[in-house]
Amino acid sequence: MLGYIIKRLSLAVLIIVFAITLLFVMIHSIPGDPVSTMLGPRATPELKASLEERMGLNEPLPVQIAYFFTNAITGNLGTDVFTNRPVTSIIGEQLSYTLMLIFASISWSALLGIFLGCYSAIKRNTISDKILAVLSVSFIATPSFVVSLYSLLFFSVYLGWLPAIGAGDSDDLWDQLIHLVLPAFSIGLSWVGYIARLVRASMLEIMSENHIRTARAFGLPRRWVIYRYALRLAILPTITVIGVGMGFLLSAAVFAEIVFSRPGLGKLVIDSITTRNYPVVMGSVLLSTIIFVVSTTLSDIINAMLDPRIGRQL
Amino acid sequence: MGKNKIEWVKIPLSRRQMLKSTAAFSAVMASSSFSNAWAQSGSTLRGRTYADMRSLDPAFSQGVSDEEIHACIYNKLIQFKPGSKWEWQLDAAADIEQVDTTHIKFALKDNIGFTNGFGAMTAEDVKFSFERVADEKMESPNKPDMDALSHVEVTGEREGVIVLKSPFQPLWTISLPYITGNIVSKKAFESVGGRIDTEVVATSGPYTHFSWEPKQKTTLRANPDWKGEKVAFDEVQIFHIDDEKTAEIAFEAGELDFTRVSLASLERLKANPPSNSTVEGFPSLYYVWVGMNLNNPKLSNLKLRQAIQHAIDVPSILEAAYFGVAEASTGIIAPGLIGNRASNKVPSEANIEKARQLLKESGESNVSLRISILNKQANVTTAQIVQANLAAIGISLEIDLHEAATFWELGGNENLELVINRYSMTPDPYYATSWFICEQAGVWNWEGHCNEEFDRIHKEGPGELDVGKRNAMYQRAQDIMEESGAYKFITHEYTPNIYRNSIKPALRPDGLPLYRYFQRS
Repeated sequence: MLGYIIKRLSLAVLIIVFAITLLFVMIHSIPGDPVSTMLGPRATPELKASLEERMGLNEPLPVQIAYFFTNAITGNLGTDVFTNRPVTSIIGEQLSYTLMLIFASISWSALLGIFLGCYSAIKRNTISDKILAVLSVSFIATPSFVVSLYSLLFFSVYLGWLPAIGAGDSDDLWDQLIHLVLPAFSIGLSWVGYIARLVRASMLEIMSENHIRTARAFGLPRRWVIYRYALRLAILPTITVIGVGMGFLLSAAVFAEIVFSRPGLGKLVIDSITTRNYPVVMGSVLLSTIIFVVSTTLSDIINAMLDPRIGRQL
Repeated sequence: MGKNKIEWVKIPLSRRQMLKSTAAFSAVMASSSFSNAWAQSGSTLRGRTYADMRSLDPAFSQGVSDEEIHACIYNKLIQFKPGSKWEWQLDAAADIEQVDTTHIKFALKDNIGFTNGFGAMTAEDVKFSFERVADEKMESPNKPDMDALSHVEVTGEREGVIVLKSPFQPLWTISLPYITGNIVSKKAFESVGGRIDTEVVATSGPYTHFSWEPKQKTTLRANPDWKGEKVAFDEVQIFHIDDEKTAEIAFEAGELDFTRVSLASLERLKANPPSNSTVEGFPSLYYVWVGMNLNNPKLSNLKLRQAIQHAIDVPSILEAAYFGVAEASTGIIAPGLIGNRASNKVPSEANIEKARQLLKESGESNVSLRISILNKQANVTTAQIVQANLAAIGISLEIDLHEAATFWELGGNENLELVINRYSMTPDPYYATSWFICEQAGVWNWEGHCNEEFDRIHKEGPGELDVGKRNAMYQRAQDIMEESGAYKFITHEYTPNIYRNSIKPALRPDGLPLYRYFQRS
């Protein structure tokens, strides 16, 4: 297992380096002069040249990439040219909001999705299974921004139960949790459907396997067989999907952050790309890539722990 | 098998109890004490800004969104007066007088002090604040508004004279009552190296800067040491919401007291406003136009450009892109400002017959052009109407859509043909003409318009003290622009705001908020 973990981590580092280099080149290839965008119409040529130097834009691209990695290793992601604040602080502030949103979304959708998936598999071909199938597909097909808007209109404007904007007071946990409900509901809903369908399909496949039939033939209670033996194996693809889903939720969070006017990494990236604020863009992209790679790596390691055959395959 | 024994533990909650608990929880959720708990404003005013705060240093203010905060926490010699006319009122100055064309004498009030123990506001603070913006070493992007400043002479503890290099009328409409007019504490700024970013060192206004939650909100609190007129709110929260639709929903959910709304929602909100709220519209200072690049050989024919000017139907654009609420503009200077023209030389309405005639006279045929636009809905709709208008006279037009960063780089692009542009404006005509002089060609003068008389007006206009003459000068400047055939003026847009009836907003004539003067009704 240790060998598998070392191999998997080495691969993760390689993926991060490759992805960041590629993204660095891509971001710097987008047309648009960051200096003019940042300084506005009234900046003098001297001011522009000074900012260009401060941002390191006068250096060749490979040198800029090398600087970026060298500094990133020491935890220095540069300085935001608008506010003169360290990029690490800016990202740190925003990251906590995004992580909170992602974990809340994936947690509630995984819990409900797994339960509904199991229930559908147990009640296969019954009316409840069919209703759940329709609901799950509907959840998957509904874009998160549509859910966001309608939930806002219903729960915030019409009922007035939940807050519409922001992330709540930073020193009030209850306020922050209340502000999390609608965004987490909006971006997690489609994952409920997705996970439910996935768990159902896996469960049905596992349930027809010999060892499950044997367990039942031994007279083990049905619930025991389902939750102890079947679900343990059926959950494997779901864990992989949740790992990858963390990455997708990072992008889905952008919608929620815009619609609910929530601070977060997604909104920060969008704003920074629009203004060509390269240090912030690259810092955010680096962190998003790390989150994505770490979550997929973790899901692979958990899978390998649950099913030792996987560990021997790498 | 022993280890497989299942022990069922029943949750000590009967079905009836469960239902009761759920009902009780729902009742709590629906009760008024829970509902809208976060929407209770008390003595808090909640407004909205479209961009996040970037700097608390007036020298590095990035525009309106920073100034809305600075105007609350700092003082200026004079401030804009809320109302429908562009006027100023005394702020930190007890008295201010233009002694001659280049000397302005001022005396400060004796009851204004800086927070954090930085003492009373003195003339030295005024000198420091103004001269640092004008200082080249400071690299302030707002330097052009203080370019005319020679120096500030300190004649007493609270008295001084602003000395200009040459007469500069925008001093009274831009430099003093806007961004560069904010007075900071010399001692406080010098104690942190001469400039600040997002951490405040000392303020003097009726509100203090309490906190900034990036990408979320700025909170200001009433300054307990403020000796001026008492402010109406204990706290002002300015939320950063870039999307107008989100701001509207937040207002309807009771989470904002004041916000600008979208033009698209104006009719709905006017017809059916949320309870206890008022919707009001204000003419904006922004100016929108269709420009033609004079340096592009495809547009070098004056008759062709005139044909395009006459083919574009502004009323249709206003109806479709601005929902019929914005007025047609007569140039780059909005109504209410010196230099505004009563009418255009080229009427706003299309004259297809005349356009066809001009196109015929131009000798051009099979004309095919491209219009570059920023990816905003109003621009897309405007471009589509211009496309239809030009098709009516036989010109085909391709729409070239850009996101912000690539669009704002087009100025130096020689291949640029037609463009829909929108510039911001301050309440002085000098600001508008500054972008269309020869020196700005290819920078912010995307049409490449270069006219000696226009440049002379721009140079002499700020120094003209006779209002009538100044008015005529800037009117002539816009005539010149139109005569070049490079411009078809569209609109100055419109600023619709919505606010709760529990507050009495204090707004500039263009509808922008002056939060320090907001009152409770």
